[in-house]
Amino acid sequence: MDPLYIIANYGPRFLDGTLMTLQLTGLGALMAGLFAPFLALARTCAPPAAQWPLRLYISFIRGTPLLVQLFLVYYGSGQFRPLLQDWGLWNFFRDPFNCALFTFVINSTAYQTEILRGGLMGVDNREVEAARAVGMSRWRILQRVSFPHAYRIAWPALGNEVILLMKASALASVVTVFDLMGRTRQVFSRTFDFSSYLWAALIYLGITVVFVYLWRQAELRMTRHLQTGSNTTQGEQRNG
Amino acid sequence: MADNDIVLKAEGICKSFGAMEVLKGVDITARKQDVISILGASGSGKSTLLRCLNFLEPPTSGKVFLHGEEISVGKGGKLNQKQIERLRSHLGMVFQQFNLWSHRTVLENVMEGPVIVKGESKSVVRKRAEHLLDRVGLAERKSMYPSQLSGGQQQRVAIARALAMEPDAILFDEPTSALDPELVAEVLKTMKSLAEEGRTMIVVTHEMAFARDVSTHVIFMHEGRILEEGTPQEMFGNPRTEPWRRFIADVS
Repeated sequence: MDPLYIIANYGPRFLDGTLMTLQLTGLGALMAGLFAPFLALARTCAPPAAQWPLRLYISFIRGTPLLVQLFLVYYGSGQFRPLLQDWGLWNFFRDPFNCALFTFVINSTAYQTEILRGGLMGVDNREVEAARAVGMSRWRILQRVSFPHAYRIAWPALGNEVILLMKASALASVVTVFDLMGRTRQVFSRTFDFSSYLWAALIYLGITVVFVYLWRQAELRMTRHLQTGSNTTQGEQRNG
Repeated sequence: MADNDIVLKAEGICKSFGAMEVLKGVDITARKQDVISILGASGSGKSTLLRCLNFLEPPTSGKVFLHGEEISVGKGGKLNQKQIERLRSHLGMVFQQFNLWSHRTVLENVMEGPVIVKGESKSVVRKRAEHLLDRVGLAERKSMYPSQLSGGQQQRVAIARALAMEPDAILFDEPTSALDPELVAEVLKTMKSLAEEGRTMIVVTHEMAFARDVSTHVIFMHEGRILEEGTPQEMFGNPRTEPWRRFIADVS
């Protein structure tokens, strides 16, 4: 075992894999983040009849392993190749990266929907009422009052979800995506040096630490209005 | 008095929550510069009445008119959301619990309605908002958040927020009931100054002194109906019904 040898010789591969992992996680979480608010809204105020397909989808995602979901998409798309070709989707699904990304988006959307739904339910109804009383439309109330509060409430849980997704993205290596885990396995199969995995672990940990720090800074910004005491003077200076 | 003096009028307002009938046909008319105090024991329906006027609670039946224009309700009639939003933008509301937007600064709270609902330019609204905050004595707190203010200060911000919309009338829903006793006076003082400059106000309150000394018209509600109403002189000088007499005795 020679960790320094590994990183000196295979550093670029680890870097390449790390970028792929960041891309997969970032795109996946971001795209899920675009769908989640709409579905969370549907979960809180759509009529029950419109709810059950959504609940079915969320239950399915939460009740099955991500690896199974990934195989369903990856091998499933192969099964239905003629159909997908007819629809012009085969070019998308024949790339394992796209299969993994697609699976992660579907998966994370379900989780983010549930987290945001909790946030929406935690919004103080009195503030919503004040917005109604001033004559705001429903859409405006969501935009100006409900979602800003819902995101603040849901923020720590959303951060957790992104971290879980980042770690789970290692599964993409199983369907031949060369993310950090994929590259590490490649390095290991050439060197049989166990320290390859040690490096992978350290890099995953590094990503998490940086992410947690950034997420926390954003949270502090979002909760400025809840901090009393010493911040009072700061607030005055800012606009003074 | 000419009919075009009438700002807000409601006829036969009924409201039920399930089987419970809270309002059983209430009429109310607010003319320009009226200051109407609505009194009554808890459960008499006075807050519900106020909330029916701007459709925070849509009435089960009855009619509401703003400057003679009917806001349609009831009897299977579908609510016109746009019309209701317009009605609300003409009626300020001040809540018992202030209901300030906690994630916005004092100044932003006051600017929000005119900018977002009426689409006025920020620079114009900012000037007006700063002027209003100065008026309620909170100019130097404009960049603070609601959680950093006392209850009385929050309520004065809420009043400035209502005024910023330049409303035709302001509804007050027990504006001093959630305040510590020593903070009640500052809010009442602000409300009194509004009354003196001729604002049309409808105030649900427990403050007998305000009803007697500031308002132009007093309404006493009892079990979902208006039992007695009149000028403060009539109401306090010559109470006609037993529940009202008892109410005066109990409260004062």
